[in-house]
Amino acid sequence: MRRVAGAVVTLLFLCPGGAWGNFALPPEPPPELYGNILISRTYRESRVRPATFSHWSHRRKYTCQVCHTELGFAFRTNDTEITEAENRDGKYCGACHNGNTAFGHEDAHCDKCHNGDLGYGKEKFSEILGLPASKSGNRVDWTKALEEKRIAPAAFLAVKPSSDISYDKTLTLKAEWAFVSPAIFPHKKHTDWLECGSCHPEIFNIRKKTTKHFEMTRILKGEFCGVCHMNVAFPIRDCKRCHPSIKRSQ
Amino acid sequence: MKKWAVIALLVPVFASFAHAQTGTKKRRPLPYEFGEVVIKNYSSNAGLSPVQFDHWLHRAFYTCRLCHVDIGFGMKANATGIRAADNMKGYYCGTCHNGKMMHGDRNIFPSCASKYTKDDLKRCTRCHSKGETVPRDYSFATFVEKFPKERFGNGVDWEKAEEKGLIHPIDSIEGVSIKRPPLATQKDFAIPAKVETMPEIIFSHKKHTVWNGCELCHPEIFPTTRKGTTKFSMVEIFEGKYCGACHLTVAFPTTDCQRCHSKPVR
Repeated sequence: MRRVAGAVVTLLFLCPGGAWGNFALPPEPPPELYGNILISRTYRESRVRPATFSHWSHRRKYTCQVCHTELGFAFRTNDTEITEAENRDGKYCGACHNGNTAFGHEDAHCDKCHNGDLGYGKEKFSEILGLPASKSGNRVDWTKALEEKRIAPAAFLAVKPSSDISYDKTLTLKAEWAFVSPAIFPHKKHTDWLECGSCHPEIFNIRKKTTKHFEMTRILKGEFCGVCHMNVAFPIRDCKRCHPSIKRSQ
Repeated sequence: MKKWAVIALLVPVFASFAHAQTGTKKRRPLPYEFGEVVIKNYSSNAGLSPVQFDHWLHRAFYTCRLCHVDIGFGMKANATGIRAADNMKGYYCGTCHNGKMMHGDRNIFPSCASKYTKDDLKRCTRCHSKGETVPRDYSFATFVEKFPKERFGNGVDWEKAEEKGLIHPIDSIEGVSIKRPPLATQKDFAIPAKVETMPEIIFSHKKHTVWNGCELCHPEIFPTTRKGTTKFSMVEIFEGKYCGACHLTVAFPTTDCQRCHSKPVR
């Protein structure tokens, strides 16, 4: 009995979270569906079909911070308390979907969002196929597309951020497991789309030497890097993009 | 041996609790919720809902100093321990909410009372309103409509709103405040950032003293020692110390990094 207990304890220490060899990578949707979401928060009560939203069509024109900071969209589907009244008042989707910048809230346009179809608008996907290619996600290397100025997404809508913090330190994060090469984290590639407050201090606290908690098991549950890199930013299965010298890549 | 096994099993469990607060995003308060304080020291004992206090309304009319220094409100929700009896005697909320004080041409409604009619009870819910649907005199949307916009907090740049003369917060109340000649304020200065390549912080005493005087911050929040001797870190600020006493919940939030880290890096 004692031996068994001892073995269990040792195992727990060896494989944190009990996930040894069990990286359940999420299934990869077809490129035109990656980053698409259905917003169904009030679907049951309102009986209006869920609203479809595609990240790839929006991120061409706006950086993440426009919607996720300035407009106050949460980072998880259905967390944001979007209502029709707020949209009509110029909040959330209505900040652009007002009939000027993009189609508005007139009856003729309802079905463009409230269609319950995750793949709505996929015929337009060919528009982004000319952008630098990548092996996963939308099959587009968005970082490169931005660096090569192939896309020029706006950084704000109405209120200009005070000034730009060009913090470009690249971090090297030692992997939990001895045989996995370290991960690199370039701040600059992230601040091109986001701002400091998008990630700090809620997703990543700023205490030193706390990086050991960014375990893959937690990332795969949608924490830390997984907040974005599970469903919108390049997917987790693209191992080499974070662990550049890893031997095997999915 | 068994004891050790239990302890060894529990250590990772507790360690995971300690870090449970990071990893995901919290719900961001909506513009009208930012700066909302829920006061519930004694409300439920009196059979009333907690008090919902909105900073956005009060700060447009009165300076921070007036309530937090002259009237004596603490800087943390529920730290003041306000009782109905205090308000009735004219302390705390009762300083202004006494039925006599005027705000422009409006009579400020009285707060707590020991004797009341059934009709008066409606007045209770004007403050004891958390979770209740209470008609309000001011709607947030119309109140802030013309104010300069900001991306965080209330979505209002309060500093600019005052500069533009859209708000005129009062700094003293007769019988409560004692007017003293203002002290000369120091010039703006730079505080070096701890992390290399982070822009330095430009701190402006002038911008702060307009609403806070000296005594709101010194010597408790910021000890008045020689410049550079107090080392504060963002970790402490995020915990609610130093700048975090105001800049997490009421004044523009710390997520607006560039508002403080504003000196260009050479």
